[in-house]
Amino acid sequence: MPLKPVTTPDAAAASIALNVDGETVTAKEGVSLYDVISGMGKIVPAMCYHYTFDPFGSCGMCLVMQEGKKSPVRSCTAKAAEGMVIRTDGDDLFAARKKAVEKHLSVHPLDCPVCDADGHCELQDTAFEHGVTNLANAKQKNIPEDTRSLVLDFNMNRCIACGECINICKDVLRIDALQFMKKDGFTQVVAKGDQPLDCEFCGDCLAVCPVGAITNKFSKYVYKPWQLRKTTTTCNYCGDGCQMYVETKDTQVVRVTSPLSWKHKWGERADTVNGHGGICVRGRFGFQFIDSHDRLKTPLLRQDGRLVPVSWIEALENAAERLGRIRDTHGADAVAGVITARCTNEELYVFQKFMRTVIGTNNVDSSARYGHMNFVRAAHHALGIHRMMNTSADLTGAQAILVVGADITETNPVASVRVKAAIGTSRASVIVVDAMRTNLAKLASHPVMVAPGTEGALIKGMIASALARDLVDPDVASNMPEALQSLKTAVVSVSLDAVAAETGASVDAIHEITTVFAEASRAVIVCGEGIVRQRGGYDHVLALIDLAWVTGKLHRPGCGINTFVEEGNEQGAVDMGVAPEFLPGPADYDGPARQKFSEAWGAPLPNARPGHALPDILDACRAGAVKALYVIGENPLATLPKSFGVEEALKRLDLLVCQDPFLTETAHHAHVVFPACTFAEKDGTVTNQEGKVQFVRPALDALGESAPDWHIMAGLANAMGRELPYDTTQDIQAEIRKCLPGYYNLGRPRPVTADPAAYLRNGYRESVGARYAGGGGGGRAGAAGRPYAMKLIQLIYHSGKLSTRASGLMDIAPNTRALRMTPEDCRRLGVENGGRVRVTSDQGRLELAVQPDVGVLPGTCVFPEHFNDPPVKDLSRVDVDPVTRVPYFKVTPVTIETV
Amino acid sequence: MKTPSHAKKIRDAVLFREIWKAMKVTFKHMFHRPMTFEYPREKRTIPDAHRGALGLLRYDNGQERCVGCDLCEAACPSRCIKVISEQDKAMPLQRYATEFYIDITKCVFCGYCVEACPVNALAMTKVYEYSTADKRTLLFDKARLYDIGDRYIDDARKYLYAHNQEKNDEESRAYRYHFPQPVGNAESSDA
Amino acid sequence: MAPMEDQRDTVYKVDPAHPETGDLPTLRTEELLLNMGPQHPATHGVLKVILDLEGERITKSTVVMGFLHRGVEKLAEAGTYHQFIPHTDRLDYVCAMYNNFAYCRAVEKLMNVTVPERAEYLRTLVAEVQRIIGHLFWLGTQALDIGAMTVFFYTFRDREILLDWFDELCGARLTTSWYRIGGVERELTASLEKKLRDFLDYFPPKIDEYVVFLEKNRIWLARTVGVAVVSAEDALSFGLSGPTLRGSGVDYDLRKYESYGAYPQCEFSVPVGKNGDTYDRYWVRIEEMRESVKIVRQCMERMPKDGPVMADVPSVTLPPKDRVFTNLESMIQQFKLFSQGFDAPPGEVYCGTEAHKGELGFYIVSTGGGKPYRLKIRAPSFIHMGAFDHMAKGYMIADAVTIFGSYDIVMGECDR
Repeated sequence: MPLKPVTTPDAAAASIALNVDGETVTAKEGVSLYDVISGMGKIVPAMCYHYTFDPFGSCGMCLVMQEGKKSPVRSCTAKAAEGMVIRTDGDDLFAARKKAVEKHLSVHPLDCPVCDADGHCELQDTAFEHGVTNLANAKQKNIPEDTRSLVLDFNMNRCIACGECINICKDVLRIDALQFMKKDGFTQVVAKGDQPLDCEFCGDCLAVCPVGAITNKFSKYVYKPWQLRKTTTTCNYCGDGCQMYVETKDTQVVRVTSPLSWKHKWGERADTVNGHGGICVRGRFGFQFIDSHDRLKTPLLRQDGRLVPVSWIEALENAAERLGRIRDTHGADAVAGVITARCTNEELYVFQKFMRTVIGTNNVDSSARYGHMNFVRAAHHALGIHRMMNTSADLTGAQAILVVGADITETNPVASVRVKAAIGTSRASVIVVDAMRTNLAKLASHPVMVAPGTEGALIKGMIASALARDLVDPDVASNMPEALQSLKTAVVSVSLDAVAAETGASVDAIHEITTVFAEASRAVIVCGEGIVRQRGGYDHVLALIDLAWVTGKLHRPGCGINTFVEEGNEQGAVDMGVAPEFLPGPADYDGPARQKFSEAWGAPLPNARPGHALPDILDACRAGAVKALYVIGENPLATLPKSFGVEEALKRLDLLVCQDPFLTETAHHAHVVFPACTFAEKDGTVTNQEGKVQFVRPALDALGESAPDWHIMAGLANAMGRELPYDTTQDIQAEIRKCLPGYYNLGRPRPVTADPAAYLRNGYRESVGARYAGGGGGGRAGAAGRPYAMKLIQLIYHSGKLSTRASGLMDIAPNTRALRMTPEDCRRLGVENGGRVRVTSDQGRLELAVQPDVGVLPGTCVFPEHFNDPPVKDLSRVDVDPVTRVPYFKVTPVTIETV
Repeated sequence: MKTPSHAKKIRDAVLFREIWKAMKVTFKHMFHRPMTFEYPREKRTIPDAHRGALGLLRYDNGQERCVGCDLCEAACPSRCIKVISEQDKAMPLQRYATEFYIDITKCVFCGYCVEACPVNALAMTKVYEYSTADKRTLLFDKARLYDIGDRYIDDARKYLYAHNQEKNDEESRAYRYHFPQPVGNAESSDA
Repeated sequence: MAPMEDQRDTVYKVDPAHPETGDLPTLRTEELLLNMGPQHPATHGVLKVILDLEGERITKSTVVMGFLHRGVEKLAEAGTYHQFIPHTDRLDYVCAMYNNFAYCRAVEKLMNVTVPERAEYLRTLVAEVQRIIGHLFWLGTQALDIGAMTVFFYTFRDREILLDWFDELCGARLTTSWYRIGGVERELTASLEKKLRDFLDYFPPKIDEYVVFLEKNRIWLARTVGVAVVSAEDALSFGLSGPTLRGSGVDYDLRKYESYGAYPQCEFSVPVGKNGDTYDRYWVRIEEMRESVKIVRQCMERMPKDGPVMADVPSVTLPPKDRVFTNLESMIQQFKLFSQGFDAPPGEVYCGTEAHKGELGFYIVSTGGGKPYRLKIRAPSFIHMGAFDHMAKGYMIADAVTIFGSYDIVMGECDR
């Protein structure tokens, strides 16, 4: 990139002064002249410019007059220099710009009537502004349209070769899936190698395309921009909490767009640390579930063994009466509730309040239990915080990033762009420790591939390495000598050779990454499902905290330990106290907050014990202790392996109330089903992983008779004779504001500071020894005569089970029903693509097809967790964490034989 | 003007002269042909430019002109047009209107939609007799609009000529919107 | 010109404060509140007037308006400038052309668009035809209100000719939308020109015919002369305009004194009354019809024989349709103008136009972009209703209708 230094000046670059339209401005030496001019608020038209990447200089619109030069210069690719005298306006420049537009227009087809970009087209706007009339020599290119991609159509007749799509893909997203190619006599944008496009399909190229050259297949020809109603809302698919625009036409979602657009091209490059405004494939193309035909439209009630549609009153009264009866005869603890962390904060709050005050039980849990709770509990225990420590700006500014057990380009694609930006702009060292050859590992400076389930062992190895080679932070050594000594004593049992043998990473590699991490002044740890959802997750997070602590990464600015979460509002579920151990805040359930909330809600709160977490609730159902289960949006039957006995548990229930937009597997067993709204019909807030509280706004009216979850809960409470006095979500927000002052905090994350002092002083010495006693981690999964480790993975194209209802995502990533293995293993087993194998685990066996995948490591096989067909997840065993009660079932040792 | 004398005024008043003068005019009109006509049996000639019921047009070979660009919807001051468009399943990459509604109860007959249409798919006709006892039938759908367009094609043509939307010559009539072509089908086609 | 002074003695004076009539011996008096309208057939639409009566005399009248309020000014904010033209048809629905004209002039002033000369003549010509229609309509209905049914038939007969002419010109008799920002939608055809010439020969004798019915008719005189007198000062302070103002002897006509269109090139006089009574307002309108005929005739003669009827300003005016089919730049122009409208400069503009009722003004506030930020219509009917209480005080119930009739009220414009 020869232009690279133009726009990203050194902080130490000299200041220069130049004159623009008679005004003197100062700028850093080496920046683009265009940036200086746009920084003054003057808008010079430019069709190939976007602030998120370097100037490209192809459109020829950004012309300015420089004193001393005869002809206009392109300001975007010109460097600002001391003493320049620049004129940005004038008839001659207008004429020159008009000529530049005419050049683009003269080869542009007459496509406005059918073009999806019409009305949102920079070429249209610019041509209209410059009053282009009577083009001479207009001719069309007549290039056939490339419709090979699953998602995007490329109509190169409309292309103005601005290169924005290529540049954003290369510079910002670092995927580099597009290129220019001379074809049929024209320069065209094609997918790499002129193949059908195969990328992450984030669609940011679509967003920045200033004309209609790249169009969206899912909404092709069904809209014109002026027909659409744009609703700014927050994406529900993952914890990144991207802002997006749901664009609707009547009762139909037509497309989803993002703040990233060619229209918002003038900005400060430095602002991109907070995100480039794009969204990922799930947000952009996974909207079809909102107005899907499968949606539930009326309440259902089980009558004579069948679920039949009934009225709301009947369903509510039935559920209320039966809930009340069970509560009265078997006690409040015979009722339990599980809610999905895709609900809004307000709904989560109402849910736990409903369960705790109306029913009177502490058996409440959310889907944050599947993993995030490990991080929250560990961070709560050790550091006194409840979420990740850093902001996205810290990620971009980091010198070293340790990404452990987190395939973040797949699970949290937009947050991963921040890590990519760190690689690109600040040349950060990125250490990826993962059991897959992830996309980030390909970009990372230090990829370390480990055997599945041994990420924790590697962390312990890193601690051992850091202590052995004295990479300990001097502050730590002086402030906490006792705790450090006890850690040193504990870590003696960790042998680096044993760790290397277990994980598959070399001792040298462990030493190197430890050095890189420890010596960076701004180093950030990101852990993901490879840590928090695998056996020993709680201990592993504590080990990560140990690592961060000894290397001094807990108390220095720009350093910290973080996790990325899978579902949209897992952080909100924790903050709203939807867990038996927490009250809203989150405050300890056993602590003094209980009295406060009891007074605020005007009801006594149940005792802390029993207060079952999700796996224990299901156990209690199976044992008959819990008679009624209220499930909101959650689908344990499809999520947990068969061996856990969810089906038996559900069948034993006297009452199962399901509340979901869809008739899920769990809902098939329900006695009462309430139709709920999706996020696109709701009003409320969600909290992203960074702690930003963001708005969810209704883009559509509720489908059929479906209602927002909080509304249903309030109705149910009413039917049970206890009023939850909410008319709107604002009422609930007002109550949350009273209980948790400052929670909304104008959408800005509340800063958190980690303070490990109390943890290190009290009881650390006693507990640390036990944690490192086992030497390495939880034991290599491939042991016990089962040579392969089978891992349930997340795909970028899906999120949980919800996205499988979105036809667009199912088009992009259908269920291949195949186990993915590395080609080497396939060769060794003698199976081809599509060949069938038998997979055997302790829980059972299954025959299925094989699909080679270069991202998988030898000795590993993976299957997307989003699909239950074939029921691969049923091969897993469920282990429940002794401390946090998180169910682990991601990695299973298996044997594979050909059939 | 000369002021009439006092005597004349009295004489005029007594003789009700102004009434007689007026009666003369009225009387003359008794021999005039009636200005009215009996509507359902006789009908007035409607000028070519008349903005009557809207119809959708086809090309001479029967292909629908409308490409579903929704510009009529944008141009409509009373928001009575609704176009639902999508990709033609039979001919990929061709846009067409799957549904086209004009709510005649809301229509103000301004003719902007015709003026906006970039393919001259809409035209107004001289049809004005569609009163009905059932308001729902006044939501004209695509079939009904094509029916009007087919049935009153001459009126529609005359309307377009009268309002300078189309010229009455071969070149103008031969105009056809050319769709983009898919990969592997580079030759331009009119279909 | 009709003689005025000599009929003064036949006037029945009713002024409660008058020394002669005010001291009449009173019998049992009781104040009566009478709701007139909004369904009253003679209130020219849905006007409601609350009359305080003393016997049959009006002591106070309160005008209640808004029954026909459709939020037209608000509608303007929702659409592009171009889209508002059909809405202006529905202001004064009797004279849509003049509303179109007034609105287009205001937008042209905002956008600084110059209209081609031929278009200016055409606009003036059609506006004057519209003025004739408006006055014919007023004359017919006012005569009907007073009891002269014949005049109503005759004026409507002649109005019909012009409405059909409009139909041929723009496709609709009442909701014309013929004016465009920057010109007019459509040229005159040879047939239209001929029909108009025929009408110009036919019409002036007809005016004399109407006058025969009314000028000396003693009922007409009794009901109009000296009724609802408004002095020149009062008329000015009430903000009256048009024939209502000129009837009071104020020589104020925007066509003459703030000239626009092709009026500067035409010779015509502005009839001005003396007494400010209903009769003078009638007389001004009759004379204006005669002047209008003159203006139309002059326009037809002086108009350039050919030339564009639409300004060619690509950023504001629509491209010719044939260019849209073949040229991308015209296609873009077409799409931009219809979907987003033209980009108006930020600013405020007021433009008053002499419609047949009075000064019809459009006040546009633009903050940039394709839609007006605020649009205010100065509707003469509305302003004139403000003077009703002043003018009706002391007259009989039966006069109420003729009084608001005398300033040609149309509720579509009044309530907007």
